[in-house]
Amino acid sequence: MKLLEIALGIVTGIGGFLEVGSLATSAQAGSEFGFQLLWALGLGVVCIAFLVEMSGRLAAVSHHTIPDAMRERFGVRFFLVPLVAVAVVSFLVLASEIGGVCLALQLATGVKFQWWAPLVAFIAWLLLWKGTFGLLEKGTSLLGLISLAFLVGAWKLHPPLAPIVAGLKPSAPTHDSARYWFLAVSILGASVSPYLFYFYSAGAVEDEWDESYIGVNRITAGLGMAFGGVVSAAVVVVAALVFLPRGIQIERYEQVALLLTDPLGRWGFILFVASLAVTCLGAALEISLEMAYLVAQGFGWRWGESLKPREDARFSLVYTMVVPLAATLMLVGLDPLKLTNFSMALTAVSLPVAVIPMLVLMNDPEYVGDWGNGWISNAAVLVVSVVACVVALVALPLQLFGS
Amino acid sequence: MELGRAVLDQQVTDRNGTPMGRVDGIVLELGGEGPPRVARLVIGGPTLFRRISPALARRVERWRRRWGPPERSGVEVPWSKVTKVGLDVQVDLDAEETAALAWERWVRERIIGRIPGA
Repeated sequence: MKLLEIALGIVTGIGGFLEVGSLATSAQAGSEFGFQLLWALGLGVVCIAFLVEMSGRLAAVSHHTIPDAMRERFGVRFFLVPLVAVAVVSFLVLASEIGGVCLALQLATGVKFQWWAPLVAFIAWLLLWKGTFGLLEKGTSLLGLISLAFLVGAWKLHPPLAPIVAGLKPSAPTHDSARYWFLAVSILGASVSPYLFYFYSAGAVEDEWDESYIGVNRITAGLGMAFGGVVSAAVVVVAALVFLPRGIQIERYEQVALLLTDPLGRWGFILFVASLAVTCLGAALEISLEMAYLVAQGFGWRWGESLKPREDARFSLVYTMVVPLAATLMLVGLDPLKLTNFSMALTAVSLPVAVIPMLVLMNDPEYVGDWGNGWISNAAVLVVSVVACVVALVALPLQLFGS
Repeated sequence: MELGRAVLDQQVTDRNGTPMGRVDGIVLELGGEGPPRVARLVIGGPTLFRRISPALARRVERWRRRWGPPERSGVEVPWSKVTKVGLDVQVDLDAEETAALAWERWVRERIIGRIPGA
């Protein structure tokens, strides 16, 4: 039984890792800097694996979700800070994910993306309205396995191993250093998405985890995120081998769509469009739920995706409002790629606010008992989030107003 | 027991285990000899917003009177009704019968309940 759960957890990690943020930032990194930015991805993967493991452990030992424990431990005034920060960032990322689905539909049909926004919002809302937690979580991650196409694509291009390994070591850029650091923090923001581990803790409580799950949790968080990261790395590799030699810089999503046509031909295009649609829709569902969880748990409302909407009306109201509002950003014609880049960098800025209160909880015996954090995970998560925030604060204005 | 840490901001559940909000305030009673006693717990309503800012609390109350549920939201629970303080604070009440769920009922009847499939 536990083996099945481990397998399922790893599948969730792989299928859920790639979404519009990691896809866009990885493709940009590969096409502009080759393998040189792989270290940022590696760093992000280590950090998110630690955070996902922590949120699962918190849920298993204390039976609290992250927002629940934060409200209880720090009081309502302080709780508002992470609440607002995570909600704002999540909202923008949600709009980007909806944009990703719309673009996939544009690529498939030729009809401009913004006209798809209402339909995509309606489908996402309907799935949330009718679906149960298990169906949404398992369904989207199983379908998300289609993103393994990038791994096949990278494999078929016979990537050179030595420069890839060299890229895992951080190095200073030889050109466009502002762009380089902006992409580095965007990759970190795309990998270390707070919605991912907030969502995970709610799932663990919803599945009624206890201390017997600590081992399962450790394995699924580690392996799931590692394999997921490998898929993102495959995107970097393909972009580096296909786009960089031709001097193609990605300025629009339509260009990214040609990523897999070189190794996989016509099927490459189809697989790309399907991956984009499925993974972005899955992420959009998770983010909408995460926002509803965040508010409902923070204020002690009844919540649960497996309840009927009228049984947790305020919880359902949150996603019912958030999904169409986010889709409006696409409908008015905001550029999806620019919005994605911006929201990923903004995620990096918000990391300390989302992560530091969590670290306090993970070192408080009242919540985690004898299962508190070791110094390595404390240090790794703290350093990555603070450094990402500082670099993002410098790189974001440079990118927006510099060029 | 340290009141602030152990009770304030905790999840409150009713006798059926239904979440009914959080402990947003504690009413203490001074009287006679000895230290002050806990008289009541306050759940939801203006108390929550007053902790953030009094101006916000007044504004939310105006909004509620204008658009929201007619009943004043929030409820005060006498300490004698508190049955357990642990992971949650359990109270011997039926959440649906209290004003703690005023907004929940309002959202259910006015918005969510009117959408097909709710």
